[in-house]
Amino acid sequence: MLEINNLKSRVGDSDILRGLSLSVNAGEVHAIMGPNGSGKSTLAQVIAGHEDYVVTGGDVQYQGKDLLDLKPEERAREGIFLGFQYPVEIPGVNNAYLLKAAVNAKRKHQGLGEVDAFEFLKLAREKMAALGMDPKFLNRGVNEGFSGGEKKRNEILQMAMLEPSLAILDETDSGLDIDALKAVAQGVNTLRGPDRAIILITHYQRLLDYIEPDFVHVLSEGRIIRSGDKTLALELEEKGYEWVREAASA
Amino acid sequence: MKQVALSIDDLREAVLRMPDDALMATREAALANLDEHGLPSVRDEDWKYTDLGPAIDISNRWLANGATITTTSNDLLADAIAAIAGAIDANWLIIANGVIDTSRFDESSGIEVQRFSESAAPFVMDRPLADLNAALLNDGLRVQIHAATEKPLGILIIDETNAGAAVSQANVEIEIAPGCDAEVIEYQSSTGTGDHFGNSVITLQIGQAAIASYVRIQNRRIGHVQSGRLCATPGRDARLNMASYDLGGGLVRNDVDIDLGEPGADVVFNGLYLAGDGQHIDNHTRVDHRVGPASSSQEYRGILNGRCRCVWNGKAIVHAGADGTDANQANHNLLLSEHAEIDAKPELEIYADDVKCSHGTTVGQLDETALFYLRTRGLDKRQATQLLTHAFAADLVGRAPVAAAIDEITSLVESRLADLIQEEA
Ligand SMILES: Nc1ncnc2c1ncn2[C@@H]1O[C@H](COP(=O)(O)OP(=O)(O)O)[C@@H](O)[C@H]1O
Ligand SMILES: [Mg+2]
Repeated sequence: MLEINNLKSRVGDSDILRGLSLSVNAGEVHAIMGPNGSGKSTLAQVIAGHEDYVVTGGDVQYQGKDLLDLKPEERAREGIFLGFQYPVEIPGVNNAYLLKAAVNAKRKHQGLGEVDAFEFLKLAREKMAALGMDPKFLNRGVNEGFSGGEKKRNEILQMAMLEPSLAILDETDSGLDIDALKAVAQGVNTLRGPDRAIILITHYQRLLDYIEPDFVHVLSEGRIIRSGDKTLALELEEKGYEWVREAASA
Repeated sequence: MKQVALSIDDLREAVLRMPDDALMATREAALANLDEHGLPSVRDEDWKYTDLGPAIDISNRWLANGATITTTSNDLLADAIAAIAGAIDANWLIIANGVIDTSRFDESSGIEVQRFSESAAPFVMDRPLADLNAALLNDGLRVQIHAATEKPLGILIIDETNAGAAVSQANVEIEIAPGCDAEVIEYQSSTGTGDHFGNSVITLQIGQAAIASYVRIQNRRIGHVQSGRLCATPGRDARLNMASYDLGGGLVRNDVDIDLGEPGADVVFNGLYLAGDGQHIDNHTRVDHRVGPASSSQEYRGILNGRCRCVWNGKAIVHAGADGTDANQANHNLLLSEHAEIDAKPELEIYADDVKCSHGTTVGQLDETALFYLRTRGLDKRQATQLLTHAFAADLVGRAPVAAAIDEITSLVESRLADLIQEEA
């Protein structure tokens, strides 16, 4: 589904990604871990198409297409979803309106008609209930005045409504209490399926207790320095990142 | 750069050709003032950013051509009037091409209407554009609102010019009785392919403890010239809640003058201007706090795209002894194009001690982070831009104090924004 080959990216004057390769197939869940500043969010932003992150080398194939040729909105309509580490507050843009516009943009791209307003609301309310979100959040400005946990749930709500083929969740778990974490994990697990792939960017092994990854990768200084199965996450927790770094440079 | 002068000889001839009615003496006095002072130029501090050249040019061409007032009603104008009257359920007084039309006014509403020509009372003539208004005024309206009415009072100032150049004047005095709760909608509109200059003076006298809710909609044809003046004098404990929406016009200059001469008054006035290629929209506001306690608060917002220029100049003067004054000014602008220009200037002059004043102006671009976020949700750049600009404007649309006008304002703002964002793409 996603083939990243020797990807290099720069923001401002600094090279952040320095030859990153990653292969993700449909049906798989990958966890990307790594210390602060290692380039995890940069990877997510490059895949989503942020213009500030300039690609200086390598290539990315998504479902057989050259991903880097596509605008951010085209990537989204092709089924890529990024759950932001810091979801932006957009006062005055109604949350329900955005949800519906997003769903309709994708449907239009697929040659489908607009969603039925009634069905849409019903579905949104169901998903919100599952996520433990008060339906009143539908009528607020996008993330406006939401707490950290509410913002993350709102990202998961968008994901659940959009049913992406490839979901990248950037530290969706940080700052969540245990109930919120479980709700988010349940949202992700519901999405999990043979046609979809999920990349979880996380700091903590904790999330992986609820969402079991097929692969775990360690990102350091813009490269993946080690990959393994879920036991790698446990090992990391026990021994720290220094251990992988030393092992990698040895 | 020398500004063309108003052809005073042609103007004199035009004035002398007007009917010899009760207004004649006033017209002649106004003419004498104009002869002496002329119209303002960019050398005047208050007109630094706005060159009345196009207004003078249109006036001169119209005057040279006989200064005729189009009184024949035609389908285009009738359709435009019907569309507006259909969109807003109000009790309409119409001034079409400078001519009063009361055919859509319901006299049983209790609102009392007189014409200036029927009563010789003086009206505002304190500066050159008001003089021009008085000199060429066909007739004016004196409106008294004694009690709350079922429908808001609508003042529709509408012009149609299909060839050459035309000028029209509108003058309305509105008096709201003490304790009365009144809603007024001022709607300025124009159609036709000719050049047009509309010049209006509206005064709003708000009685003791009365509440005035006032909406101004300016949706003239892009390219037409408007000078619109509103003078409000709230009485003791009176309230004025006003919102202005500038959506059209070429060269537009609005002056809002609020004179707070009685204690206890509370004035809130907001404005939204949307400008695109070729537009110049200048909002000058002035509040005179003569006594305290009293409060005034204004927030103007602008969205500018393409090659255009807007001006916001908010002056608040707190006169000596006006203790207990609370004056707030805010002006926020969204510039979507590097060719768009805004001159934002708050001016506070404070001669009293116990006052609370604040002002803030911002000029910014669209929030790139928000734009990107929306695009990652599948919205294209134009759609995302529209959503964000809409959000910026929606807040002010929501503050329109006359419920009957909200749907029309919402739809005008939406369609104007859609046009503006189209220009960018
Ligand atoms: N927009 C930006 N401007 C400048 N530097 C940035 C920007 N985004 C990220 N960086 C830098 O890139 C490096 C990697 O950041 P990031 O990808 O956010 O790491 P992580 O998500 O792994 O903590 C850091 O050194 C960070 O300071
Ligand atoms: Mg990060």
